[in-house]
Amino acid sequence: MSLVVLDKVGKTFRGRTGAWEAVRGFSLDLAEGEFVCLLGTSGCGKTTVLNMVAGFEAPSAGRILLDGAPVRGPGAERGVVFQGHDSLYDWLSALDNIAFGLRLRGLGRRQRRERAAHFLGMVGLGGQGAKHPAELSGGMKQRIQIARALAADPRILLMDEPFGALDAMTRAALQAELTRIWADTQKTVLFITHDIEEAVALSTRVAVMTRGPGGTLKAVVPVDLPFPRDRTSDGFMAAFRQVHALIHAEILA
Amino acid sequence: MSGGRIRDRAFTVLGYLGGFALLFLVWHVAATWLARSALFPPPGPVLERAVVLVEDGLLQEAVLASLRRIGQGFLIGSAVGIPVGLAIGSFGPVRAVLEPWTEFFRFIPAVAMITVSVIWFGIGEESKVFLIAYTTVFVVIIATAAGVGAVARDKIRAAQCLGASRLQVFALVVLPATLPLMLTGMRLAMANAFVTIVAAELVASNDGLGKMLWDARLFMQVEDIFVALVTLGLLGFSVDRAFRLAIQAFAGRYNPTM
Ligand SMILES: Nc1ncnc2c1ncn2[C@@H]1O[C@H](COP(=O)(O)OP(=O)(O)OP(=O)(O)O)[C@@H](O)[C@H]1O
Ligand SMILES: [Mg+2]
Repeated sequence: MSLVVLDKVGKTFRGRTGAWEAVRGFSLDLAEGEFVCLLGTSGCGKTTVLNMVAGFEAPSAGRILLDGAPVRGPGAERGVVFQGHDSLYDWLSALDNIAFGLRLRGLGRRQRRERAAHFLGMVGLGGQGAKHPAELSGGMKQRIQIARALAADPRILLMDEPFGALDAMTRAALQAELTRIWADTQKTVLFITHDIEEAVALSTRVAVMTRGPGGTLKAVVPVDLPFPRDRTSDGFMAAFRQVHALIHAEILA
Repeated sequence: MSGGRIRDRAFTVLGYLGGFALLFLVWHVAATWLARSALFPPPGPVLERAVVLVEDGLLQEAVLASLRRIGQGFLIGSAVGIPVGLAIGSFGPVRAVLEPWTEFFRFIPAVAMITVSVIWFGIGEESKVFLIAYTTVFVVIIATAAGVGAVARDKIRAAQCLGASRLQVFALVVLPATLPLMLTGMRLAMANAFVTIVAAELVASNDGLGKMLWDARLFMQVEDIFVALVTLGLLGFSVDRAFRLAIQAFAGRYNPTM
C-alpha cells in the first residue's frame, strides 16, 4: 500500500479576485522510502499540492490519503520545510528554533539542546546556534529550517524549494547530506524544486507538472541510478534531457 | 556591550542633553527679549520656584499623586486590554461581537468621560484611576489584536507540523510573536495616560500636577504653572524612555526594528 495517495486532487481558491483553479486532477502515489521531486514552472501549483499533503489546506476536489486514511490536518509525522523564512521564530535562537519540535514533545532542555546541536552541525552551522534569525543570512535561515524539520524526525519530509536561496557549493553539500540522511533513515521525501539537475540528482522519481492555472501532473520520470550520483554519467544526462524536454514544452506552451 | 554600542549610547545621551539645553535657551531668549511679560517667566525664576516647591515637598507630592494614579489605571487597563485583545485576535466570533465596542469607545476620549466618571465615582481616587484605565484599555486591545492578526501564517503552520496542540501554538508562538506590538500599544497608552491625568485632575482632584496647574491659575502664580508644565514634559519623556528601553530589552534582542 502506498504511504501517501493523491487521488484526482483539485484546489480552487476563492478570494477577492474571484475563483482561481490552482490545481486540477492531480494524482500521484508515494511509496514508503521514496524520494519524489515535484518539478514545474513558477505558479503551477507545487506549493499548493504540498500544503494539501501537509494538511494546511483541504483539497476542493479528490482526496489525499495517508496510510489509507484521509488527511485531516497537519501532524508531526509530516515535517515541512517552508518556502521563505517567515516560519522561523524570531524570538528564539537558531538552536532553540531547531529544538522547538523536541520541546513540544516534552524532551528535557539538555537533551533537546544536544540533539539540536547535532543537527546544527549537520547543516554546517556548528557554533552559530546562539544567533537569532535576524542575525542570519537567507541561506542560513533556510538551513535552520531544514535542521528543525529533521530534528523532529518525521516519517515524511515535505520540502518546498529548500535549497533555493543557497550558493552552488553549499547547495551541493546539502544535497549530498540530504541524500545521505534519506538513505540512512528511510524517510519518504516530497521535494519541490525548479532545478532540473537537482531533481535528477536527488530523486527516485521526478514528477513534472503542467503550468497553471489548473496545474496537474504531466509525467513521472523514474530515475533508476545508484547513489551517490555521477552528474556526468550517461544515465544522468539521459534523465536530465528527458525531464528538460518535458519542462521546456511547458515553458513554450 | 560593544564599544560601538557604548559610543552610540553616549551620543544619544549627549544629543538629548544638547536638545534640552537648546529648548531652555530658546525659552530664555523668548521670555527675556521677545515677549517680556510677567505672564511668561524665563527658565531662571521657574527653576528657583521649583527648588522652593521641592524644599516644601509640594512638587514631589503632586508628582507622586499623579504617577500613582497613572500607574494604577495603566495596570488595570493593560490587565484587561491584553486578554481581550488576544481573544479578539484569536477568535472570529469574539472579534465580531467586541469590535463594535472597541471601535465605538475609542472615539469617545477619556476627557469626555470625566463628567460621567465624577458622577459615578466621586472626586476620589477611583474616578481618576477609572479614566486612566479607560484611556489605556482600548489602545492596548487594538494593538494586541493587531499583533495577533500579524503573526505570519507559516509560523503557526510550522508549529502545527512539529506536533503543537492548539494551546502550544497559542502559548509558544502567538503570544511571543505578539509581544512587540503589545508593548508598543502599551507605550502609546502610557502617553495617553499623561494627557488624561492632567485633564482629570484639573476638573476633580485635591492633589496632583493637574491640581497644581489649576491652583496656580486661580492665584496667578505663573511660575508654578511653568514648573508643572516642565515637570509633566520631563516625566512623560522619562517614562517613555524607560518603556522603550524595556521594549528593547524584551523584544529588541530579536526584532531590530523595535
Ligand atoms: N491562498 C491563495 N489564494 C489565492 N490564490 C492562491 C493562493 N495560494 C496560491 N494561489 C495561486 O495558485 C497558483 C499556484 O500557486 P503555488 O504557490 O502553488 O505555486 P508554485 O508552483 O509553488 O510556484 P513557485 O514555484 O513560484 O513557488 C498561483 O497562481 C497562485 O496565485
Ligand atoms: Mg511555491
